[in-house]
Amino acid sequence: MILETNRLEYLYSSGQTIRFPDLKIRVGDRVLVTGRSGCGKTTFLNLIAGVLKIQKGEIDLIGNRFSSLRPTSLDQIRADHIGYVFQTLNLIPFLSVLENVRLGIQFSHQRTSKVPEIEPEISRILSALGLPKNILNRQISNLSIGQQQRVACARALLGKPELFLADEPTSSLDPKSTTEFVQELINTFDPSKQAILIVSHDPSMVPFFNTVIELDN
Amino acid sequence: MRSRALPLALVTFTLMASMVLVLSIDRIQKATEAGFSQSVSGVDLIIGPKSGSIEMVLYTVFHLGQPINNVTMKTMNEIESSPDIDWLVPIALGDSHKGFRVVATNLPDYFEHMRYGGDLPILFAEGDASSKISAAIVGSTAAEKLGYKVGAELFITHGSGNAIEKSHDDFAFQISGVLAQTGTPIDQAIFVNLRGYELVHLGWQSGTKVFGVNNVNIESLPDHALDPKTVTAAFVGLKSKFKIFPFIREINKFPKEPISAIIPGVALAELWSIVGLVESAFNLLSWMIILICLIAIVTLTIASLDSRKREMTILRANGASLFYLARLVIFESLVIGLTAVSGAVLFVTIATFFAEHQLSSMLGIKLQTSFLSLDELIVFGIILGAGLLSSLIPAAFVYRRNLHQGLS
Repeated sequence: MILETNRLEYLYSSGQTIRFPDLKIRVGDRVLVTGRSGCGKTTFLNLIAGVLKIQKGEIDLIGNRFSSLRPTSLDQIRADHIGYVFQTLNLIPFLSVLENVRLGIQFSHQRTSKVPEIEPEISRILSALGLPKNILNRQISNLSIGQQQRVACARALLGKPELFLADEPTSSLDPKSTTEFVQELINTFDPSKQAILIVSHDPSMVPFFNTVIELDN
Repeated sequence: MRSRALPLALVTFTLMASMVLVLSIDRIQKATEAGFSQSVSGVDLIIGPKSGSIEMVLYTVFHLGQPINNVTMKTMNEIESSPDIDWLVPIALGDSHKGFRVVATNLPDYFEHMRYGGDLPILFAEGDASSKISAAIVGSTAAEKLGYKVGAELFITHGSGNAIEKSHDDFAFQISGVLAQTGTPIDQAIFVNLRGYELVHLGWQSGTKVFGVNNVNIESLPDHALDPKTVTAAFVGLKSKFKIFPFIREINKFPKEPISAIIPGVALAELWSIVGLVESAFNLLSWMIILICLIAIVTLTIASLDSRKREMTILRANGASLFYLARLVIFESLVIGLTAVSGAVLFVTIATFFAEHQLSSMLGIKLQTSFLSLDELIVFGIILGAGLLSSLIPAAFVYRRNLHQGLS
């Protein structure tokens, strides 16, 4: 078992409370969380990634119970076991593609140890995601949004973290590009070691996943 | 760091400029104090009528004010014959020339023994020190303001005013030398032969001219007639510095006449402590500049806070520890701080090297080409420390708030 959530609830400052369904993710799982805007998809993902503090309920990631961890330990757990593609991508604009992707393993010995040669591995992932080879040394600010989304995915995939999380990774892509992108992503991830959890409101993605959870509060 | 190259370069430059100011002020302050206390050097003691040391140093070194009494030459000769004395140069003050004070002394002995600014000899820009009775030597400022050159004649005036009736217009001194600039009161003085000075006072009693000396045949005067009867004070060099204090005690107990001896360096230091307001002003200025430095650092930190917070939040989201983020900003502010310090020290050292001669001859300020003093190190330490602390602000922000706030 990679991830297990139990009776998660989140109280917003507006007073609204969202109860999330219990989730169990095993190695090889491809899980899609859908739902209309404002239903709490991103909050759910942020709770799972340990970016947002748990208020009620419990999350267990590979034996680590989030409620008992200090924020700094949570940061380390995330660096070791989770690759997260944020909705806003969160790439550092003045760094090159290579430097941004390398950030994914820079603070995790565990993930670094899974990458014997960093640069060839980054090139391999970027190619698998459909990016040209000469992109490595280009600055992020010179890339299109579609290319930036692929770079953010490469960062999350580098070092094979057990859980790959992505928040609306295809929000700015056209339907054809969306299909290509998801296909490339699924081809790149290793189903013998990893699981995917993606949040999206795009119904065209449904066929690529073996579990679909619809949030409706 | 490279993404903010321009603002960082600007803040490094601002910091460096402030540090150059702090360093320059500190060094000029120290050099001014050193220059002041070395307005007269090479002199072990100044002997004059019994008075306070500051008073004596004011009229003998700075030519300010008037001595209350004179000392007889008999006493001076007796002191000169003491086995401890290496040399003694008497001076007589009281007259002036067009607003510049006249110092009557033994020429050329005065210029052989007197030094300034540590151990610099008083040099001649033109001519030399003649031993003629009519010889006059003009300080650089006086020569420049009055347009005097070697060979020009001048009349001295009784007292410090410009009254025509008080003029010693019956005997002309002839300029034999013009001094190079020293940045000390010497520049404003006119030196005349002591015997010539005695000559122009021959016909004077109680400050009034009784007869002129135009018709006096100098050659026919007996040798001792022009020997001064009294002088104002004397500069003294001793054979051994160890004799200074016993000698002062001896002079202060001199039985035949009320006289006293002072150590010029000590008296000048006392005088400097009185004008210490200047020093406080310098200090205040330095601290104001340091404050501006600190404001500059904090302003940059706050200005770059938003972009830094985001960058750091992304790093944290990827697992960077607080220690890593702190190390990042500390490294950056150390690079800025140390670049600014090294640049400032290098600039001031080079500027000192090139300006040393000019400052020394024009203002008498002798800058030391030194690296960094302990005081300067402390000030730079404070600036660097404040820079480091303020650079930690963004790192602390990132850790105090929830991670998702910085990522959305």
